[in-house]
Amino acid sequence: MNRSLALEKQRLARCRLLTELLYRRLPRPGGWSHCGVQLGTEPTSLALLALRSSRSSPVPIEELAPLLACRRPNGLWSAVRDGDTEANFWASAIALNTLMILGAASEMFVGALNSLLHCKPLEASWLVRLKFRISDRQVRLDPTKFGWPWIPDTMSWVEPTSMVLIALERAKNLGLVQGDELWCRLNLGTHMLFDRGCPEGGWNAGNGVVYGVPLQPHLDATALALAALRFHYHSPTVNSSLTWMLNRIDCPSAYSLAWLILSAAAYKDWRSDVLPVLDVARNRLAALVEEPQQIQDTSTIALAALALDPETANNPLEVTPCAH
Amino acid sequence: MRALMNRRIFGGRLLAGTGALAVRRLCSTGRLRDRRKSRSRVAILNADSYDGPLDRLLLDGLRLFDLDLRGKSVLLKPNLVEYIAGADVNTDPRLVGAAATTLLEMGATSVLVGEGPGHQRDTFLVLAESGLEKELQSRRIRFIDLNRDEIRQVPLKSAFTGLEKLWLPRTVLTSDVIVSMPKVKTHHWAGITLSMKNLFGVVPGVAYGWPKNLLHCKGIERSVLDINAAVPAHFVIADGIIGMEGNGPLHGSPRNLGRIVLADDPVAADFVCTRLMGLNPLRVNYLAQAAEFLGNGTTDRIVQLGEPMFAPQEPFAVLPEFAHLRI
Repeated sequence: MNRSLALEKQRLARCRLLTELLYRRLPRPGGWSHCGVQLGTEPTSLALLALRSSRSSPVPIEELAPLLACRRPNGLWSAVRDGDTEANFWASAIALNTLMILGAASEMFVGALNSLLHCKPLEASWLVRLKFRISDRQVRLDPTKFGWPWIPDTMSWVEPTSMVLIALERAKNLGLVQGDELWCRLNLGTHMLFDRGCPEGGWNAGNGVVYGVPLQPHLDATALALAALRFHYHSPTVNSSLTWMLNRIDCPSAYSLAWLILSAAAYKDWRSDVLPVLDVARNRLAALVEEPQQIQDTSTIALAALALDPETANNPLEVTPCAH
Repeated sequence: MRALMNRRIFGGRLLAGTGALAVRRLCSTGRLRDRRKSRSRVAILNADSYDGPLDRLLLDGLRLFDLDLRGKSVLLKPNLVEYIAGADVNTDPRLVGAAATTLLEMGATSVLVGEGPGHQRDTFLVLAESGLEKELQSRRIRFIDLNRDEIRQVPLKSAFTGLEKLWLPRTVLTSDVIVSMPKVKTHHWAGITLSMKNLFGVVPGVAYGWPKNLLHCKGIERSVLDINAAVPAHFVIADGIIGMEGNGPLHGSPRNLGRIVLADDPVAADFVCTRLMGLNPLRVNYLAQAAEFLGNGTTDRIVQLGEPMFAPQEPFAVLPEFAHLRI
């Protein structure tokens, strides 16, 4: 009992250290960078979530200004603020999730929701599908099932698809989007994730089998895909992938382990083996971030802070119906 | 089946030949600058294993090149793709560590190791699992994740992909010397992956995603040419001690080659490495094109240092799509 209390204290202390470090890494104009001072959408979103995790009041707009600075004229977000960076669907989805979690006014992001709904990856084109049917057959995939790409004019991949599905699901629960188009897009994206899984369970970027060889899953991609598919918890694919993920808590990287914890937390009410694993995983993460100043990527610091805080209501991977 | 194979071989040869001719024409009309130096130098070093005195071997090898590294910042770019237990996928950490120490010994003010893996988003996971993190810590060498470094947009100097600009990491753009450290491997999309293909890892995931799909959509070979024209590696240290053949870059078989290849020209390095694999570099489309403007491929413009060149009795195994590469 004493030991578990001591471990919990250690986790909270590490969590405080991480949030202090986030404040120290905040550049003068505001917003966070992966490393350095260049404002990035992902690190800014995750840092905002980590720092606001204990407060329940809506976030003042000035705190959101750095995140809104990465928004492009079409409403979508770019990965970084500088220059004419193009729209990035991963960055857009993570920014949208953040704004919705923090209770921002919907006018700030409703345009992005529409852009995400209408986005089509490369394989939505019949010509590209034909290429996959006739000549490009070394990667096992069904091009009729598509999700979202990282950037325009490329193929859909597991991580952006997962994050967009989570954002759209959250928007649906908030009553911000609805209709057949939403249903159709959620359905297509979900089928794409099931299609691109690895044969042994789990996901990597989206190449399950290449040249007949099954490729190995990646922890962060698996965590994201599982979070996007949590309403399909009864599916054998989801179950076996969750089991695979829960068996990887010895992971030596804080980044992947934090995603694992945030994803597994979304399943805590649905599978009894999740909570004990979460406890062990959080202790391990606390040990991995013993010297947080050594961590290069601000996203990792923010993710670890979120993952170590068991009380957080700001888990970007967990969708709960909102009272708004 | 045999007819299909013959068609593939003929098609592959034709593609490389016409590609090179097209580049020659671009150079002659002034639309592409011929950046080849009059002579390139390549040294082949014998090394049977990674456990030997690699620091000493590299120092002796690098001294063959009159490199002036005094006051310069060096970026080592190994090939760090993914960790697969028991598979020789990545540039060996011991060689990377030895190269870093040796370059510091030769007067470099700083040596950084940087990589941006193409599929695995968690760079520090690959770093830890591959053993490179421990190796670099023991030598006090810093690592930078090129996928998440600050980025700047630079205009391209060639137009093979049709992209006018490319986002690149600040560390790559500000380093005085870039050293490409590939693993000598076959590649299921590109035929081979050596020092030029290795530079895919400098293209930042934060801007282009994982994998860097835009480069695949624009054509791997065209992308290799554009990237290398924009950020040419100044030097190459290729890990050919244990290479990979067959279904590379991840699931091929290990192949003991027992060589380290050093070069002051990535095109020349890749030509020599390809020959060491028993394959014909002129049939690798992007290599044939690169030898028309980026670097030297012909033996009369490559000064051979170190050990003599021997092609293996049995060439590296390749996928049927690349049967035309075998000499």
